Amino acid sequence: MRAALLPRDESLRKSVATQAFTVALLLAWEVASWCFPPFLLPGPYEVGRSLWSLLTTPAGLFQAAASVFHVGTALAIAFVVGTAVALLPFYVKGLRLAIDGRLTPFLNSFPGIGWTLLAILWLGLGLRTVIFAVAIILVPFMIINIREGVRTVDADLIEMVVSFGANRWREFIHIVLPALFPFMFSAIRVSFGVAWKVALTAELFGGTRGLGYTMNVARQELETPQIYAVIVLIVVIVFLGNRFVFDPMQRRLQVGSRSPV
Amino acid sequence: MRALLSAKGFGQRAIAESLVLLALAAWWWSSTHMATAVLPPPQAVFNRLLDIATNPSLSWHVLITSLRVLTSVVLALALGFLLALLAHAVPWLSGVIMDRVLVVLNGMPSVGWAILAVIWFKVSDFTVVFVQVMILLPFSLTNFAEGLRNLDREIIEMAESFARYRAATLTKVVIPMLMPYGIAALRVSYGVCWKIALISELFGAQSGLGYLMLQAQSIGDVTTVIATCVAIVILFTLGEACIINPIARTARKDIARAEA
Repeated sequence: MRAALLPRDESLRKSVATQAFTVALLLAWEVASWCFPPFLLPGPYEVGRSLWSLLTTPAGLFQAAASVFHVGTALAIAFVVGTAVALLPFYVKGLRLAIDGRLTPFLNSFPGIGWTLLAILWLGLGLRTVIFAVAIILVPFMIINIREGVRTVDADLIEMVVSFGANRWREFIHIVLPALFPFMFSAIRVSFGVAWKVALTAELFGGTRGLGYTMNVARQELETPQIYAVIVLIVVIVFLGNRFVFDPMQRRLQVGSRSPV
Repeated sequence: MRALLSAKGFGQRAIAESLVLLALAAWWWSSTHMATAVLPPPQAVFNRLLDIATNPSLSWHVLITSLRVLTSVVLALALGFLLALLAHAVPWLSGVIMDRVLVVLNGMPSVGWAILAVIWFKVSDFTVVFVQVMILLPFSLTNFAEGLRNLDREIIEMAESFARYRAATLTKVVIPMLMPYGIAALRVSYGVCWKIALISELFGAQSGLGYLMLQAQSIGDVTTVIATCVAIVILFTLGEACIINPIARTARKDIARAEA
């Protein structure tokens, strides 16, 4: 109610407070870094310098590119597998409980680090381990979101299409797939953030390159600024992805689905 | 109709359970073709699970991990609620909490928290709980903020004009309206906490299932690695059936009574 009476004043105060908080936090960080040894808490300047060298030297860029590759590949694999599993009960009705009541809860509660350590024992250190671990952690997120969509696909609509003689493939392309788009979008959106975070873990334990690997090396050499730099980079990547890719796409999707048929 | 439905349910069940059995059989069959160090047979993992459940020196790790998980969930819910309430009640703080604190918490990788916490606080119970609370906080904060955003202003104003005490409005109207979001926050936090329990114990603890798993992994003991993962799945499922679902059911009854 107050916000309605004083909208301009209120929103100005809010943005001033928000920016002031950022500055205050950086200042507090700087001051705190004077009080602690650098291996415990390096200052924002040192972390910034470490981040800069990560993003400007070929070696650093190579590790970042490796992480992008890991995340992208794992997302693609998890999306295909998740979509296939989520669609199964739609075509084979008897599998509903097996997937919703057995497979998905199992995958969803199986700890990610467990997959990572098992992958190391099965596949050794390297690319396959990282991609396997990240993909299998993402699969339940994909299944849960896309299953939600499959449930809402209008059964009557499909029956009508079938009775008009459209075949299964055309039914899938023209009716099922468009109805699933918003759910596939949110599946990928959720998985994007999770993927970056778990890729770091998978690379740290089971990788031979990537940002997680960089962080592990930094941890062993007590290069604390580098650890902070990698963490800051992940936070920034997740934020930028949400802000400049997923938020605009979501707005467009909502506009698209609101338009009358 | 009912007979038909239950027959259909029976069919679903039969298919689901036989697929589980089939998966176990496939696991057993593959294990006979591979070294135990790569894929142990299911009965070996089952025996190790029994060992973990009955041998006091091992079940102690289970107890420690469970206590840490429950503590972290309670703390994360309380902290998330307080932050959401602060953002809601003090408009100029909402940008700080929702656009700064939440964004950072959302993007923070769990292994980052785990490593930083060990650097900051060394190895202790506090370190583990700190890591878990920090990982859970964005989930509980998001849920409570959503609930506060959807609070029906008109109902609250009406309640305030009828009620003699502000406290009555809070307990009889606001809290029941927030309850579904609180339950959602509880469910999500509880599920996530079991998944990240192991990782938070890898660096920061000398006890717990995560510690047990890392020890096993370092000597290539696959049986124990799989057994700890299955233990997590079982503990999560048990806790959901015995703690989370009853709480959700009671809350639903309370909401129904408040609406009546």
